[in-house]
Amino acid sequence: MSDIINANPTILNPSDLPTRQSESRKKQSSSAHIADKISRLPTSKALLYDPFSASLGEDSAYGSGASDQDDDDEDESAPEDIDEQEIYDLISTISDPEHPLSLGELAVINLPHIHVTHAPATPENPYPMSHVLVEITPTINHCSLATVIGLGVRVRLEQALPPRFRIDVRIREGTHQSTDQVNKQLNDKERVAAACENETLMGVLSNMLATCK
Amino acid sequence: MVLKLVGSFPVQPDRVWCAAPHPHLPLVATASTDRAVRIYSLRDFSLVSTIEGGHKRSIRSLSWKPNAKGESVLATGSFDSSTGIWHRDERGAHGDGEQQPESNSEEREEEEEWRFAVVLDGHDSEVKSVAWSAGGSFLATCSRDKTVWIWEDMGNENYETIAVLQDHTQDVKMVAWHPEEELLASSSYDDTVRLYKEDTDDWVCCAVLTGHTSTVWSISFENNGHQSRLVSASDDQTARVWCRKPKVGEESPSQPPSIIKGATDETENWEEQSVLPKIHTRTIYSVDWSKKTGLIATAGGDGQIVVYKEVDVTRDGEPSEFGSEQSKEWEIIAQVPAAHGVYEINSVNWCPKWDKQGTKVDGELLLSTGDDGIVNIFELNL
Repeated sequence: MSDIINANPTILNPSDLPTRQSESRKKQSSSAHIADKISRLPTSKALLYDPFSASLGEDSAYGSGASDQDDDDEDESAPEDIDEQEIYDLISTISDPEHPLSLGELAVINLPHIHVTHAPATPENPYPMSHVLVEITPTINHCSLATVIGLGVRVRLEQALPPRFRIDVRIREGTHQSTDQVNKQLNDKERVAAACENETLMGVLSNMLATCK
Repeated sequence: MVLKLVGSFPVQPDRVWCAAPHPHLPLVATASTDRAVRIYSLRDFSLVSTIEGGHKRSIRSLSWKPNAKGESVLATGSFDSSTGIWHRDERGAHGDGEQQPESNSEEREEEEEWRFAVVLDGHDSEVKSVAWSAGGSFLATCSRDKTVWIWEDMGNENYETIAVLQDHTQDVKMVAWHPEEELLASSSYDDTVRLYKEDTDDWVCCAVLTGHTSTVWSISFENNGHQSRLVSASDDQTARVWCRKPKVGEESPSQPPSIIKGATDETENWEEQSVLPKIHTRTIYSVDWSKKTGLIATAGGDGQIVVYKEVDVTRDGEPSEFGSEQSKEWEIIAQVPAAHGVYEINSVNWCPKWDKQGTKVDGELLLSTGDDGIVNIFELNL
């Protein structure tokens, strides 16, 4: 990693990053601003179980806004507690493998590109699953570190989220030259499991994840 | 029909990748991320042995050698790029099948009886699957290095590489042998299934099955006399049945196909016959075609286990597609959502049912292994 792949990335001001707390004083960057605003709309319970939640991959940022209580309790009985903002908080603080900046600051991770859905519990299936889709925007379209970044995001979420979550990490359409290839690799359970037994790779990942709160 | 949970093996500390029933004893071996092989009894679902120390990384796959005389032989494939061969002498008084369900001290002795005999090195990266041929003379292994290797058991713990097949363009996920013929199948991250057989002196790829639109995780042959079929399961959330077509010029399709006859022409004609009813909503990681009942089971990332049966359908007044009076169709006869709670299921396998005394009884069990470290045992109630 001696050659820097993207020497001049665009950097967001930390105060522009979406957050649930202290939102009032911050100037928000436009897209994050809207999504953040929406995610803070009071949501009724009924909305959480709306038909949107069944259509994985849909842009469901509006469907599953969250209750405003910001507790870190990942209790299985309260799946509505985990929303896009919480996922953002978990992964935007991951460090970039080549810059001393976070994935949030580099706009690799963006709140509107995180989608969370919760399946309702039914009599047939008392163990409903939740789904999170994270779309990553590499800083440049031939970034060879896209896979490592994606793996970092996946590992972070696998460690932090309860087991009912199914996690899909993808490169955002049109932002990388080998999107399909990277996506397939990032979502292959066996390859991810094997990668997590690779000490060199895990060394890189643990440095990236060291900045997570 | 209902797939009823009849028991579970004691929980393991980490993900269980797969389970394999012993060819003739009431035992099941499991492969785990914690680098251990555990052997359980099918008489009372207890843990019999934990075998550790052979591999440096996850054990991904295992296979019992059929027809091993006087001993049990187990092959293990690991993410450490190696394949291990383990032996246990069965000639003593401890054939788990018939003997007393004994004490802890004996269990400890049994653990020591497992011997890590041979390490087969050769693959460049993780070994994903290992499988013995029906006769037990060949062991196939496959890896992320895109190759399939065939090893011949030369006796006295000597193994010779007789083929390195490099037909796949990506990781090879699984290898499986035909239940009677020396015909090998492999499935891959390149979305295809390939079939291989020996042509004079060389093993060659004799068919490519294309149709899946993503990684093919699992394959299983049917065991039904002269008819040869294979089922495959994929990340595209479908399972497909493939059928071998008789060769053009072959005298009669009713005659059992002979591999000797085909030796001069290495190609085989395989066609997609059907897609099983779509029900899975995530990757299907495993499929198993019961050699006993002809039922197919699938399981995967959505946590469901599904059982399918092939039934005759007569369409009134509707001409059948193939001009025959009746056609066949696969239907779902049983389904268990959340068979491992919220966890993913890595494998399903049919296996014989045994009573407490270690006698094989009527019926068949279905084993499932999950990310929760649990092996569940189901039985289909008619």
